[in-house]
Amino acid sequence: MSTRHILLGLLAAGPSHGYDLKRRHDERFPQARPLAYGQVYTTLQRLVRDGLARVEGTDADGGPERTRYRATDDGVRELARWTAQPTPPAPFVTNEIFAKVVVAILTGGDPAAYLRAQRAAHMARMRELTALKTDPGADLATVLSADYALNHLDADLRWMTTTAARLTTLTAEVDTA
Amino acid sequence: MTDIGGPPQAATDSGRPLLAARNLTKTYGRTHALRGAGIELAAGEILAVTGPSGSGKSTLLHCLAGIVRPDGGEVTYGRERLDRLPEERLSELRRTEFGVVFQFGQLLPELTALDNVALPLLLAGTARARAHERAGAWLERFGVRGQQDLRPGELSGGQAQRVALARALVTGPRVVFADEPTGALDSLAGEQVMSALVRTARADGTAVLLVTHDAQVAAYADREVRMRDGAVAGAEVTS
Amino acid sequence: MSDGNLGADLRLAWLLSRGSDRREWWRAGLTALGAALATGFTLAAVAVASVQGQVNAPIGGGLLDRPGERSGVVLALLLLLIPVLGLLGQGARVGAVHRDRRLAGLRLAGASPARVRRIAALETGLVCLLGSALATAGAVPLLLAAWHPPARVWAGAALVAAAVPVLGALVSVVALRRVAASPLGTVRRVRPERGPSAAFPVAAVLLVAVGLLVTPEAFRGVLTAPLLVTGAVVATGAGALWLTGAAARLTGRLLAARTGRPAVLIAAERLRQDPWAAARTHAAVLLVTVVGTGFVGVRQAFLADLRGKPETLTTDLSFYTTGLDLTAAAILVALVLALAALAVGTAESLATRRRELAAQAAAGVPRAVLARALLLETALPLAPALLVAGCGGLAIGVWYAAVNGTRTMPYAALLVPFGVFGCCLLAAAASLPLLRRSVRPGELRHA
Repeated sequence: MSTRHILLGLLAAGPSHGYDLKRRHDERFPQARPLAYGQVYTTLQRLVRDGLARVEGTDADGGPERTRYRATDDGVRELARWTAQPTPPAPFVTNEIFAKVVVAILTGGDPAAYLRAQRAAHMARMRELTALKTDPGADLATVLSADYALNHLDADLRWMTTTAARLTTLTAEVDTA
Repeated sequence: MTDIGGPPQAATDSGRPLLAARNLTKTYGRTHALRGAGIELAAGEILAVTGPSGSGKSTLLHCLAGIVRPDGGEVTYGRERLDRLPEERLSELRRTEFGVVFQFGQLLPELTALDNVALPLLLAGTARARAHERAGAWLERFGVRGQQDLRPGELSGGQAQRVALARALVTGPRVVFADEPTGALDSLAGEQVMSALVRTARADGTAVLLVTHDAQVAAYADREVRMRDGAVAGAEVTS
Repeated sequence: MSDGNLGADLRLAWLLSRGSDRREWWRAGLTALGAALATGFTLAAVAVASVQGQVNAPIGGGLLDRPGERSGVVLALLLLLIPVLGLLGQGARVGAVHRDRRLAGLRLAGASPARVRRIAALETGLVCLLGSALATAGAVPLLLAAWHPPARVWAGAALVAAAVPVLGALVSVVALRRVAASPLGTVRRVRPERGPSAAFPVAAVLLVAVGLLVTPEAFRGVLTAPLLVTGAVVATGAGALWLTGAAARLTGRLLAARTGRPAVLIAAERLRQDPWAAARTHAAVLLVTVVGTGFVGVRQAFLADLRGKPETLTTDLSFYTTGLDLTAAAILVALVLALAALAVGTAESLATRRRELAAQAAAGVPRAVLARALLLETALPLAPALLVAGCGGLAIGVWYAAVNGTRTMPYAALLVPFGVFGCCLLAAAASLPLLRRSVRPGELRHA
């Protein structure tokens, strides 16, 4: 996930302060991890260093002084390149659930019980997300990001179901290896 | 309803579930569809029954709805033993207290959407005009009023299922039984059908027994019960 | 043949028939029965027609003694093929959905349309062969017992026994031309708009014409009164048939808009959807009603006429009543066949819709409502059509009485349409036990 490109994208929509950017980011991507201020400021400084953004001026209407940033033409070109480029589909398979199953087998634990508990946790999270998106006041951005998470959790669940059904074979394979 | 977000308690105020089954067995030929399944449904609760195909989900739903008589075990609705009621009373219960939605096929292909929804009311002796009025209001509520004069063959899958929902709910039932209600739909149409069902059920305090193999559909429920080989594998209550 | 030989096709046809479900066995049974009846009636006609000149036959109460009466008997036997055709037509619909799906599956697996049709024709042909063989085997001892038939009778019998299965196979090729065309079969559940089927009326008219041509002596020649009678029968039958469809559409529309009763609503909407389904099922019943009502009227006037003449000998009277009774028996046989076709048609319509009906019962629609809807579906279009058919038959009776100067009104004939109506309801009701089985929730398990 390129925070740098997302901030540059928000900036391209119009000049903004760091605080403003963080607020707009959290609004636009409701279910994403909220940005920290520190991360926003370091990212902006790197964008300026790379010539993708520049400082436009400072405002101080009553409060503390705030730097206003704007995207450069290079920045807009970089955004066009980034949005047109496909995201690499799952370059590395990092699957914590699978890792826990294997370690459970290696250490003589109960992988089936773990999978059941994980399934319960997944279902609980899916119910939360479903409640979020069926709320009559939910906007489309919320619905779509909830859908994204739901589909991924659903894929996990299906993987867990087939894995649970094949635990005996997997145990034999792990033990002999 | 006061607690729209949170699930209701697992039992009614009097401490008794609305619908309960214990130790159900049912055999079709040499297939053991149910072997000792048990389940409880509280008033106003939305409960998902999930499991692989052939695990006995649909048979459990049929037994709970009084459509099928179990070979053994008991089904209690309120104070009545469904497994012992005469067919006439069961038929009446299904018409008045229960609503059913299947994957498809529950609408009469010859009747218009409006008449299909009005049918349970007509069966209860309501005048045609009054029945149409109420059926129309339900179609309106599910966004298919514009299709009221079309027949099921002319409706899209999602529209037909929303008409089927209207028909299941038009008598103001206390329990809706839904067997793979989105099974024949694409995900967007399925989402519309599920939110229509869940919102209405929560607003009116209708209990729903939802049979599905799809986790995303099961996530609309308050609670999930998993079945395996004709019995309940492990019930988990919401966190 | 480029794609497979007859042996391979036969083996496939046999494998497919063996693996088919019970309803397809029903279809095979009905087809075999129809073929047997057709063979039997035609064989009898051939045997009677082969007799020449004045004889003294041991059977038939003297009716077979003279060429004129023999012609009438041959005509009656040939006309009995009309209800047999109706029964065969209804029988072919039993399990048709499964058969169509199977043929489509064959196409999908790579069989050419011609080959699929050949396999289906072989299936039908073999079943018809079974029926005609059984009928021939039964007829031969009877013929031998009655008299020593000349060689031309045996030749005719062999020809008939071979022609019935060949015709059956040809008809099935024609009937399946559309099914075999698409490998996907009829996937959509929406029913195509269908007009009145012309096949049955055309076949019936052809049979009447052929019957009159091969038996020129019946009723003393083609160009006299019988032509008028036949014209009246055909016109009334066709009118009643058209009326069934029209009445089905109209009553469907009127009742569906007004009724508050669920059974009437369901029946009315079904009639409106496919008004010609009723006409297809009722065609043979209506023809029998016209003939039956006409016959009862003619019989009453005829007997009154005979009794009015004092010089008539008692032996003559018994000769005439035997003739009349045999005709009545033939009409009754036709009625039974037509009713059987109606019962088969109703049962088939039930069996095709069984999943849908099971879903209604599961949703709490009482079985009694579904049963009433089923009966109304038969009764609503049949009532006006039977009334017209009865009037047509009555007109024949009144005309006959007027021509012969008899002053009796054939009141008894009025009872015929009502009797037939009652029988039809009973025949439709015969499928109600099937409804009980259809709405079993077990049907819900199979999508």
